[in-house]
Amino acid sequence: MVDATKNTVITTTWGTTNARPVQPAVVAKVIKKAKRPLLITGGDVLDEDILKRAVEIGKKGIQIAATGNSMTGFVDEESVFAKYINAHSLALYLSDSGWKGLDGHGNYDLIVALGHKKYYINQVLSGVRNFTKLKSISIERNYIQNATMSFGKLNKETHLKALDELIDNL
Amino acid sequence: MSQIKTGKFSIDELENVQITIGSVVGALEQEMDSEELDIGPSPCPGIKDLRNWDFNLLSRYEPVYTPVCDQCCYCTFGKCDLSKNKEGACGIDMSSHQAREFLLRVITGAAAHSAHGRHLLHYLIEKYGPDHPIDVGASNLKTPIIQLVTGMKPETIGDLQKALEYVEEQLTQLLATIQVGQEGAALDFESKALHGGMIDHVGMEVSDVAQISCLGMPKAEENTGYAELGMGCIDSEKPMVLTIGHNVSAVTHIMDYIGDHGLEDEVELGGLCCTSIDMSRYKSEGAHDSKSKVIGPIAKELKFIRSGVPDVIVVDEQCVRADVLREAKELHMPVIATNEKIMYGLRDRSDDDVEDIVSDLVSGKEPGALLLDFDKVGEVATRVAMEVAPIRSENNMTALPSDDEFNELINSCVHCQLCENTCPTNLPISDAFRLAEEGDMSGLVDLHDPCVGCGKCETVCPKDIPILNTIEKSSQQAIREEKGKIRVGRGQISDPEIREEGVNLVLGTTPGIVAMVGCSNYAEGTQDIYKIADEMLQRNYIVVVSGCAAMDLGMYKNKDGETLYEKYPGKFTKGNLLNVGSCVSNSHIASTAIKVAAIFAQRKISGNYEEVADYIMNRIGATGLAWGAYSQKASAIASGCNRLGIPVIVGPHGSKYRRALIGRPYAEDKWNVYDARNGDVIPIASVPEFLLTTAGTVEEVMPMIAKNCIRPSDNNMGRMIKLTHYIELSKKYLGVLPEDWHNFVRSEQDLPLAKRDELLNILEKEHGWEIDWDKKKIISGPSMKFDVSVQPTNLERLCKGQEV
Ligand code: SF4
Ligand code: SF4
Ligand code: SF4
Repeated sequence: MVDATKNTVITTTWGTTNARPVQPAVVAKVIKKAKRPLLITGGDVLDEDILKRAVEIGKKGIQIAATGNSMTGFVDEESVFAKYINAHSLALYLSDSGWKGLDGHGNYDLIVALGHKKYYINQVLSGVRNFTKLKSISIERNYIQNATMSFGKLNKETHLKALDELIDNL
Repeated sequence: MSQIKTGKFSIDELENVQITIGSVVGALEQEMDSEELDIGPSPCPGIKDLRNWDFNLLSRYEPVYTPVCDQCCYCTFGKCDLSKNKEGACGIDMSSHQAREFLLRVITGAAAHSAHGRHLLHYLIEKYGPDHPIDVGASNLKTPIIQLVTGMKPETIGDLQKALEYVEEQLTQLLATIQVGQEGAALDFESKALHGGMIDHVGMEVSDVAQISCLGMPKAEENTGYAELGMGCIDSEKPMVLTIGHNVSAVTHIMDYIGDHGLEDEVELGGLCCTSIDMSRYKSEGAHDSKSKVIGPIAKELKFIRSGVPDVIVVDEQCVRADVLREAKELHMPVIATNEKIMYGLRDRSDDDVEDIVSDLVSGKEPGALLLDFDKVGEVATRVAMEVAPIRSENNMTALPSDDEFNELINSCVHCQLCENTCPTNLPISDAFRLAEEGDMSGLVDLHDPCVGCGKCETVCPKDIPILNTIEKSSQQAIREEKGKIRVGRGQISDPEIREEGVNLVLGTTPGIVAMVGCSNYAEGTQDIYKIADEMLQRNYIVVVSGCAAMDLGMYKNKDGETLYEKYPGKFTKGNLLNVGSCVSNSHIASTAIKVAAIFAQRKISGNYEEVADYIMNRIGATGLAWGAYSQKASAIASGCNRLGIPVIVGPHGSKYRRALIGRPYAEDKWNVYDARNGDVIPIASVPEFLLTTAGTVEEVMPMIAKNCIRPSDNNMGRMIKLTHYIELSKKYLGVLPEDWHNFVRSEQDLPLAKRDELLNILEKEHGWEIDWDKKKIISGPSMKFDVSVQPTNLERLCKGQEV
């Protein structure tokens, strides 16, 4: 078992709350409990090792909102449901109960972030955190303060192990 | 007291009478009166006058807030935690406070541009007189933005003062609303922010029109000369004067001094940020190459200072690092401050003898001087550089470590990653050091370009490693190769160019204008901007650039050794690359759209903001891209474009502006316009999809641009061309056919020719459209019909039968 909650150093702060550090098994549990979880990927997901794992998560039946150019990683994955969407637009749609989601079946009740620029996803999640009731989990290599729960800042090896553990528990 | 009308008059035989003329009262007002019939409904609008238009925009493009801080500390009731949209002690909620914060950014930026304009006007009027004519080249509409917003038609630089007075009043009114206990509604703050953006464009136009008219800058020229570009183009053997900032007035005196004394070959003159762009424009009229060099944007400031190459630094205003004096002092580089906005605590030497100032600076008795007498700036800067250079060179004044020091620094890293956590771009510094310990410098070299040179990493390193210096030390080869070219800024787009190109833009046969503007806070590095421009130019978009984006674009060469400026010509027509100039030249990009409405469509311009903005939004396929936007000024420029109906994309760092304006394409009731011929409400495709938004990567941006250049007025050929690019770019960069491409199809003639069968098939199978395969025609399916004579408008009052 890896410890994915290390190194949650904060250098600047958005406010009084920061993400709760979380272990992979707990993330898996929360995702399993959600009715409509959504994995939101960013361009950095295209790193070969990360992409493999994102695809695995997708194969567990979790829809993927592919932001940036991350869609290129899922094009040939037929058993994965992935659609391109702009991250900032997504932040708006997630706050709208009338949005039909990527599959036309409604909005989501949990979002999970992977493969984003740290500063960018923090901003997107700042919007989500302040203007929706949605829970968010960051499974990035960095500690993402504005998520509800987040891994700490991990080295690449620990990060991959953490993702594997999460997938095993899904 | 009798009032004297404008015009000539003579007073004979007067003795002991003093006549003081402040300004000629009423000249412009009289002109406006005489042309009253030509003035639209909103000359010199106040805060409320275009509010309906703003609300019209904001009902489709909703503010999306992404706070950078959940708290407010504006007054002593607070600080207040507003998270989860809570109210503060004064009753303001998070949304409204974020809107207020955004407004503050916008008017700060607008104030920077218009105070720059005010300073320039004071200087130029004193030097050239208020009657110096405005001359921007082949243009009847000399000041499209001023005319559109205020209804005024300034003819002389003195006339520009009236427009600036209007700007200054509006800025004060807007700033007042930031005070606690004023506005309480987010939507009204948003309308105010759009007002501030519009005002900013007036301020920018005043600034640039004034300097173009007086300083020998190119006047709407297609073929301007070139300036050398990049850190690598500076000859470090020569004494060097480095200028930093945005206001070229003082620096022109250095250029003149060097020229007048025949020192061009002895002294190296280069600049950072927009001052350097305007230096390259100074006296470059008539396709002359620049006499000065452009080193780069703000990201290069600390890097270049620490290299030790400059011998004297001259700062003016805007985008100048606050630590220039501190950093320069370390390297015995005297700093001359030339503008009241940045004085660094330096002693005012404006009235002192030049010999004394030179001596104090060369000896190091004083680290710098405040010098507001520009003639003295010219002499002092040049002489100090020449006298201080041999001393500095003898003492090898550079902040970069020696080879031994470098190795020691590398090995002292404990890989705590604090630097990475602090780095605004989260660069992998620790990994780069790990590689360097093993003798592989590639990690550090790779950091040189994306590093914005902020120095924040160094402030937290427990080992006091000067991280930026180690990056720069290992990148010396790359820096030597940073040699590019920039085409000298041309100023406005001329009337004849608009006449020729307007029809292609409105019908869509030129796929769009991409305006690449702003600063250098990029997602990945400076090459981002080159990649986007090259791709769009190959596809025949008109790419218009300005400011730091215009510099970074010229830093790269293709395999034939050409920069994009050498590869693509500079006329306002498809597939051309135009550099309008510096930050304040951004006004010419917005004014181009206004000119299309005026010249091509014969719309009334003066004081007719709403109608012209409505025209632009529905007919001119232009998208702004401020990929590296960092400053408040960039948010002001974007807001000015937004009020005119021009969408703007910023890079991922732009999410920190804390608010975007985004539409929901799935909300069908938002995507309608009136047909001005009869007032019918007709559906349109959901473009532009946003007025201000971010993108995560360069690859994402390209199809976004193509899509958001689609407009309701496209004819079939135009729509087909735009759709082709949208589809191809999405496939190329995202790997997929766009999800929404079918929403832009009105008839089979909109479909890309080469793919018509394939796409008809998809329309039938996946979207249930009825196709007549014999005739290859769409029988049913599209939500919109194509009608060549439809006149799309968001303004009911413009429809036939409505009162105007
Ligand atoms: S302005 Fe309002 S929200 Fe801000 S600190 Fe004062 S009371 Fe609190
Ligand atoms: S902060 Fe200093 S010691 Fe820590 S990883 Fe960065 S360079 Fe190394
Ligand atoms: S100087 Fe460069 S590496 Fe250091 S924090 Fe700034 S951007 Fe990051």
